[in-house]
Amino acid sequence: MDPITVPKPKSVRNPNRLASSLLLAQIHHLREAEKNLPVRYHSGIFHKSLITEGDVARYVRSVTEAIHKAHNDAAKDRAKATAKRKAPRRGRVDIAVQADRTAQRKRQPGKKKKARKKAGRKG
Amino acid sequence: MPPGLDNLKHIVVLMMENRSFDHMLGSLPGIGGIDDAGAFSNADTNDNPVKPQALAEFQGQLNPDPDHHFPAVDLQIFGGATNQGRQANLQGFVKSYFNQRQDVGQSQRIMYYFQQKDLPVLTTLASQFAVFNRWFASIPGPTICNRAFAHYGTSFGRVDMNPFDVIEPIKSIYTRMVTANPARTAKLYYYDTASSSMEVPNLLQNQPQVFGQYREFLSACDNNSLPQYSFVEPNYTDHDSDSGEEVANDQHPDHDVQAGELLIAEVYSHIKSNPQTWATTALLVVYDEHGGIFDHVIPPPCVKDRFQSSQLDPSTGQGFFFDRLGVRVPALLVSPWIPKGKVVDRVFDHASIPATITKFFQLNYADAGPREKAADVFIEPNNGSGNMANNLLSLDVMRTNCPDFTLPS
Repeated sequence: MDPITVPKPKSVRNPNRLASSLLLAQIHHLREAEKNLPVRYHSGIFHKSLITEGDVARYVRSVTEAIHKAHNDAAKDRAKATAKRKAPRRGRVDIAVQADRTAQRKRQPGKKKKARKKAGRKG
Repeated sequence: MPPGLDNLKHIVVLMMENRSFDHMLGSLPGIGGIDDAGAFSNADTNDNPVKPQALAEFQGQLNPDPDHHFPAVDLQIFGGATNQGRQANLQGFVKSYFNQRQDVGQSQRIMYYFQQKDLPVLTTLASQFAVFNRWFASIPGPTICNRAFAHYGTSFGRVDMNPFDVIEPIKSIYTRMVTANPARTAKLYYYDTASSSMEVPNLLQNQPQVFGQYREFLSACDNNSLPQYSFVEPNYTDHDSDSGEEVANDQHPDHDVQAGELLIAEVYSHIKSNPQTWATTALLVVYDEHGGIFDHVIPPPCVKDRFQSSQLDPSTGQGFFFDRLGVRVPALLVSPWIPKGKVVDRVFDHASIPATITKFFQLNYADAGPREKAADVFIEPNNGSGNMANNLLSLDVMRTNCPDFTLPS
């Protein structure tokens, strides 16, 4: 069948259109989510001032991006913290290994002495 | 097993906003639309009968936005009766719209529907693939709680627009997918960050990693790298973005219906543009609820959910038990394995979405709520448990005569 031509929408773009009840609900949800973010991620936008679709979109973008950034930053912080936690453990192991080696070195002369003594006895 | 199901690797759901079945598809003959409705009318407040008329316009006609909150939808479905034993009669659409502006002429517009030629994308897809003529909103109420059914199979007792809490052990379909063993892939694509998602309180806030943007979805179609399950949200606002000026394409009144047509065509065309994506993908286009706009099919009862709403059911004076569906909405399934002109008259609602995804991808999940457990699936599972008499991807050979759309530059 022949391709079907999709008409170009004749709509007049209007970011000043009043926000619908759906968009007001979305603001409400994002406002609740924003409250759970650390303060440094807050948008600083007074949500009661959001009247038009353009206003809503600015706020929605700000909070949506903040949510992603907060989670990404938290993931990085977790990775750093994990790396730090691992580092001391390695240190402790190193110290423990070093302690074992020192102990071995200390024991070895004794063994040699014993061996010498044994050898002496034999001799 | 049917080759269509054997080949199926990706399921995409595009959920639009707030239009009823008759309003969008009622002009198509033989699918249970207006032509098949007989002499149907609603009385206006002067007691004059108002018949459905093919006079719908793309924009500027349904302003103010028709009320579609729970009490208004109750009036639309039951015509204002609140007694026990009342019968749904769909006689309250005009009355409900009149309540908003006290304007008889304006209230009659709620009965308008589009001519087939007005909506070349939706009507072509409906007539070329499978159209569901008994897909109902999950709740006789607004957007947020209806969309919750698409993500969770329940709205956790909500019939309104307020934030809801996910109540364990129920999990979102995304969590079920990504925590399955072996893990499956799932993404929820919003249009852009300025439009974002309508599932903020739980998914976006707590699991932003399951989200992607619409342009990434289109790239994934082009590159045959779609996740196994994709849910696409439209653009909800006219706004400025980094790439230019964006126009809302969700079709929510009073947004331009043609912009939504373009969105649907774009999604379809990108899936079809890559032969591998096309052969392995099924696309469901569905509307979240009717938006207060007339439809003539009486919503059926359904099993109760495990939750009860704090909003009272007018007929019982008790909390609503989620034991009846909302108004009928447009829904269609696209795949080259579906025969042309398939009409599906089984009952579906949005709980069918997580039910289908869970069963098709064989997720080990036993915690679905009663509504999801009872919901029919629109794609049969391909593991021997499916009912092949209901399989819509039933062709032995993939179609080569599927439509193409030429998009405006």
